[in-house]
Amino acid sequence: MSAIEIHGLSKDYGPILANDDLTFEVEDGEVFGYLGPNGAGKTTTIRTLMGLQSPTAGTATIMGHDVRDEGELIAAKRSVGYLPSNPSFDRDATGREILDLHASIKGDDRRDEILELFDPPLDRTVREFSSGNVQKLGLVQAFMHDPDLLVMDEPTSGLDPLMQSRFNEFVRAEKRAGKTFFLSSHVLSEVRRVCDRVGILRDGRLVTVERVESLLDRSGKFVRARVVGELGAEDLDFDGVHDPTVTAIEAGPELSSVPDDETITEVTFTFTGDINDLLGRFGRERLLDLDLEEAPLEDVFMRFYGNDSATTADAGTSGTAFDTATGGDGNA
Amino acid sequence: MLEFARYEGRHRVRGSLVLTAGIAALIALYVWLFPSFKASGIDWEAYIESFPPAFMEAFGVRNITSIEGFLSAELYSFVWVLLLGMYLAYSAASTVAGEVEDGRMDLRLSLPVSRRRIVGEKFLSLLVPVLIVNLLTPMAVYGGVLLIGESMSAADLVAVHAFSIPYLLACAAIGLAISVALDREGRAQRAALGAIFGLFMIESVVAGTDAEPVGGLSPTRYFDPSAILVDGTYDLAGAGILLGATVVIVLASQWWFSRKSLE
Repeated sequence: MSAIEIHGLSKDYGPILANDDLTFEVEDGEVFGYLGPNGAGKTTTIRTLMGLQSPTAGTATIMGHDVRDEGELIAAKRSVGYLPSNPSFDRDATGREILDLHASIKGDDRRDEILELFDPPLDRTVREFSSGNVQKLGLVQAFMHDPDLLVMDEPTSGLDPLMQSRFNEFVRAEKRAGKTFFLSSHVLSEVRRVCDRVGILRDGRLVTVERVESLLDRSGKFVRARVVGELGAEDLDFDGVHDPTVTAIEAGPELSSVPDDETITEVTFTFTGDINDLLGRFGRERLLDLDLEEAPLEDVFMRFYGNDSATTADAGTSGTAFDTATGGDGNA
Repeated sequence: MLEFARYEGRHRVRGSLVLTAGIAALIALYVWLFPSFKASGIDWEAYIESFPPAFMEAFGVRNITSIEGFLSAELYSFVWVLLLGMYLAYSAASTVAGEVEDGRMDLRLSLPVSRRRIVGEKFLSLLVPVLIVNLLTPMAVYGGVLLIGESMSAADLVAVHAFSIPYLLACAAIGLAISVALDREGRAQRAALGAIFGLFMIESVVAGTDAEPVGGLSPTRYFDPSAILVDGTYDLAGAGILLGATVVIVLASQWWFSRKSLE
């Protein structure tokens, strides 16, 4: 029995098909990342798993309990921790009152331990909480009864980088202790450090379920380099280079070390080959700048799962914005 | 047991006390006015005789120059039956729809409890305003009446408040059903206000006409403050009907919510 089993799950909202015949499993003890751009239908799947909404077709079980049967689901919920996207609490209640209410129903064996990691201001009312603190309160209530399965919709949204890495570290430790995670995200770099496998959802359809390493190997790096001298597209014609662009740029003040009559060339491309080959190739040039970043999820979609009118050549540059925040650090 | 009811009930105490204080202030004003009203020399009886029956029915106007008649017409028939009924329905309307709309319900339902229990306990938490307002107000009324040198039956005063409890619970149950049916808090609140006001109007308008049985759908038919205060008659059957209807509506709301897909 897998922690989560989903068979032929569909949800039709009329104008949109939010989930289209999804079938996959989350194994016991794994960290499964449920990825996709905003609006892909991730939250629909998660809310169906939690029994909040009914599927149009198909079935799903949580720890063997049918999510369409309230009685069965109540039994499963005793060992499930749930964090919705943008969790919402009674604004007039203090954090402590909310945790006390949850504790009175489901227990709080680990409350103090979790509060040392995520520490919302418990004696203030939720009205006074920042969005980061609301998220922390959501994390505490999800973990405090020591559940076996964690279902979390965008768990790191609203957390600062320190809290994000603390969360990742905690997830890894809990996984070692045998816990199962089903986490959604729209940013690959956010979950790649903790996930064993990822399922990618796009327009309600599951495009792939694979191990995170193989996805990262295939998705490659986004490379931007500035070199002194002229470079042509033919110079970038080596293994692993995709979608190269070559632009001659003018030397600005930040490039004052370069004589005025020199040409400067900026190249960008996605690289899926061996990083040593790349460095070897650029070793012959006089480099002014070299950026290597994890390829944004949108680029991965574009390259492997087909393009549609919504994604344009700009996706690369706009997408890098997310990835610089967390910083690609190679195949860690 | 009853963790949700206790939690939500606690959060209703302050609002209920504020509500009661507001009502007490209104009572003080009415009671203070009564001596000059009585002494004005105007023939109030003749004046109200000229009102249409629907008005008499709506505001329970009877024997208005006695303190009992005055209070039932000015305070109970209007403030209790209409305003407080609307307040309870409005509060109940926020309970489920408000949590569904802003996502709080998602977390509440992540707990290992049934949806029926959540709806049932939300309803029980509304006992807090109902009980507080009916416990404290009669003391204020009785004190005020004694202060202006009048007297009235304490038993009837207690009775009017006791009999108002099933009435207010029925109004709350109507609000609860609307709250389960609609997914937007604001819409549910407006619908609940409209429902109580509409039922009150229907019952008033059909009074004394061929359509009078239609008024039986309105909870106001089963709670008549004037009958209790002025005539000293208690409608036990009416209270029973209100309690029975409350139970039926709450059960139906629970059943409905347990099957509802929250989208």
